[in-house]
Amino acid sequence: MSSIRVNPFPMPDLVAALEQLQQQQINATLQLASGSSINKPSDNPAGAAQLVKINDLSSQVDSFQRSISAISGQFSTADSTLSSVATVLTRAITLGVEGGNGTLSNTDRQAIAVELTGIQSQLLSLANTSYQGQYIFAGTATAQPFVLDPTQASGVRYAGNTGTNNVTIGAGYQLQVNLPGSQIFNGPADMFLAINDLIASMYSNSGISAAVTELGNALTHVSGQQAFYGNALNQTQSQQNYLSTQSVGLSQQQNAVAAADLTAVASRLANDQTAQTAALDAIGRMTQTSLFDYLK
Amino acid sequence: MSSLFGALSIATGALGAEQGALDATTNNVANANTPGYSRLRPILIESNPVVEGSVTYGQGVTLQKLESLRDPILQLRIQDETQQQGQLNAFVSAMQQAQVRFTSSSSDIGSEISNFFSSLSQLSTDPTNLSLRQGVLTAAGNMATVFNNTSNSFTQQQTNIDLNVTQAVQQVNALTGQIAGLNTRISQLQGVGQDASTFVDQRDTLIGQLSGLIDVSTIRSDNGLTMTTSNGSPLVVGGQSFALSTQTNASGLQDVYAQGVDITAKLSSGQLAGSIEVRDQKIPALLSSLDTLAAGLANALNTANKTGFDLNGIPGGNLFVPPPVSGKGAAANLAVQISDPALIAASSDGSAGSNGNVAVLSAVQNQAVAGGQTPTDYYSNIVFSVGNDVSNGAAELTSSQLVLNQLQDQRGSISGVNLNEEAANMVQYQRAYDAAAHVVTTVNDMLYTVINMGTLTG
Repeated sequence: MSSIRVNPFPMPDLVAALEQLQQQQINATLQLASGSSINKPSDNPAGAAQLVKINDLSSQVDSFQRSISAISGQFSTADSTLSSVATVLTRAITLGVEGGNGTLSNTDRQAIAVELTGIQSQLLSLANTSYQGQYIFAGTATAQPFVLDPTQASGVRYAGNTGTNNVTIGAGYQLQVNLPGSQIFNGPADMFLAINDLIASMYSNSGISAAVTELGNALTHVSGQQAFYGNALNQTQSQQNYLSTQSVGLSQQQNAVAAADLTAVASRLANDQTAQTAALDAIGRMTQTSLFDYLK
Repeated sequence: MSSLFGALSIATGALGAEQGALDATTNNVANANTPGYSRLRPILIESNPVVEGSVTYGQGVTLQKLESLRDPILQLRIQDETQQQGQLNAFVSAMQQAQVRFTSSSSDIGSEISNFFSSLSQLSTDPTNLSLRQGVLTAAGNMATVFNNTSNSFTQQQTNIDLNVTQAVQQVNALTGQIAGLNTRISQLQGVGQDASTFVDQRDTLIGQLSGLIDVSTIRSDNGLTMTTSNGSPLVVGGQSFALSTQTNASGLQDVYAQGVDITAKLSSGQLAGSIEVRDQKIPALLSSLDTLAAGLANALNTANKTGFDLNGIPGGNLFVPPPVSGKGAAANLAVQISDPALIAASSDGSAGSNGNVAVLSAVQNQAVAGGQTPTDYYSNIVFSVGNDVSNGAAELTSSQLVLNQLQDQRGSISGVNLNEEAANMVQYQRAYDAAAHVVTTVNDMLYTVINMGTLTG
């Protein structure tokens, strides 16, 4: 016999080819459904490992962003509180200047002293501002930072500490989130002492202008401290923008590594379906006849 | 001298030979779909002639034998490739199960590690907040649980594979017993010069099944067939089979023994080798990587927690139950030590509102805690290595499947039954049979004529 004898049983080959086609279709469908070309590590081992890292970075960026939202509230509260402090101090200075006017009677000055005492209480209340149950000017202590204490010259004692906290808002980017209350309110120019002095000077009608100067210093100081929170707000804002960009970048990386090329996958799927139909058709036809059918 | 009776005997012989040839076709057609069947071919030869003087009289046809068509060398290659495939199949399917645990989702080890550090990051914004503290404990618990579950699932898988090994050994023993039995019958038949092709076909099929399970070398000799494992332990020698056995080893897993010798690590192909590779190498390596990671994380976080102070200003203790010094079992037993969220040492100076130590805890995320790598890098390497094993194994399996298909094709082209061919042969034998029958009739007529010739003259 000169012709090459072929395998009369092509079925296992054909079935294997069909299985291959089916497997490809399952993979393609999975990719289309998930939108990702990496549905298990073996789909792309290096890509899967990269995804682990990208996902982790992305989770870090998310936490930085959440941290920023959390501390921004605290910054805004501190900022607006210190604005109020400045307003109140300005009012006290105005009253002091008024009281220093020699034409005022004792009664008038006492009236001013009463108003100043009210301002003193306001200041105390502002210095004890809390945000979500936490005093924001207590350093890292948790107790009420400013308490009335007649033994002190200023009448007020600082019960907080000088600790500060940092919060990480970027890789290796730590932002200081608070100033100790003692630094803001007692600082080089103690506003409680200044206002106490002013009240006393109203009653004694002496040293008014010195007390007004003290208050002025306290106001200047507190405005300087307020700038810390303003800056911090600005920094979180720009960091927030940076993180958003980074987040977009990470999504792009994720896509570059794992996104399924939907058009390509869909067209491959269509090809495989056509191939399968053709194969089934061919198999259906080929096995039907043999020479036996023609023998009568 | 030729005679009419001689001619009658030649024609009758031809009838028998053609009928025998048709038997081969019948058997071929009947076994067209029998796995492992090798087609028969009738070997027809001329009968020895009779020489009278200068004339040589042919004595017709003899059916010498029905020959079975097979290629023993090809059979060996098929066995080799079947062994290869058995190994890859077992390996790939086991590793595919394993890699499911590393499929990037919201609940794999990598995500739970990220979630834990994310919870710490939230705590840093408000260190006295008890719900944020509870969030850290919950995330730590989730991280411990995913380590536990992943590690336990691998141990469970190891146990399942171990069961497969025992079953495969039993199958091997059953097969070698049957092969030895067939060897005996084949040599008996061949000893009296009879055709044993039916049993040879059966034996080839069994050897094929055996090859799927274990690596075997086959040596064919005059006195039968000898099969050994690749390291030389006998499985079948002629009519005798040698059973493999299993013994529990120090790890509680079954080792495979042949004639009292431990051959577990020496099996190089077949399902057994693939299963054993995953059971004894891949899974232990995975478990040990997970232990390294879990122990590294737990130790580093414990150390970090101890550098700070809890909500009550007391120096921090262990966050996690300290893993064993050897690290073995660290992942399976990872557990959070504290249940009181106040005990998280967020403070660096003892004041309740300080978050200074949270940064120390968070820094663990970027520390080389496992194998000189950060937790995420180390974990991503595990993912890569598992994915790579599956993907390489699957690629090899596909190519092995192609080779095996080709070899089977080749075997089919030699030994397979082609119905067209059989139909053509059938027609051919039938025609020859018809012709021989005609010759008989003709000779019969002639004899009749000769016999009646006497009657006419008498």
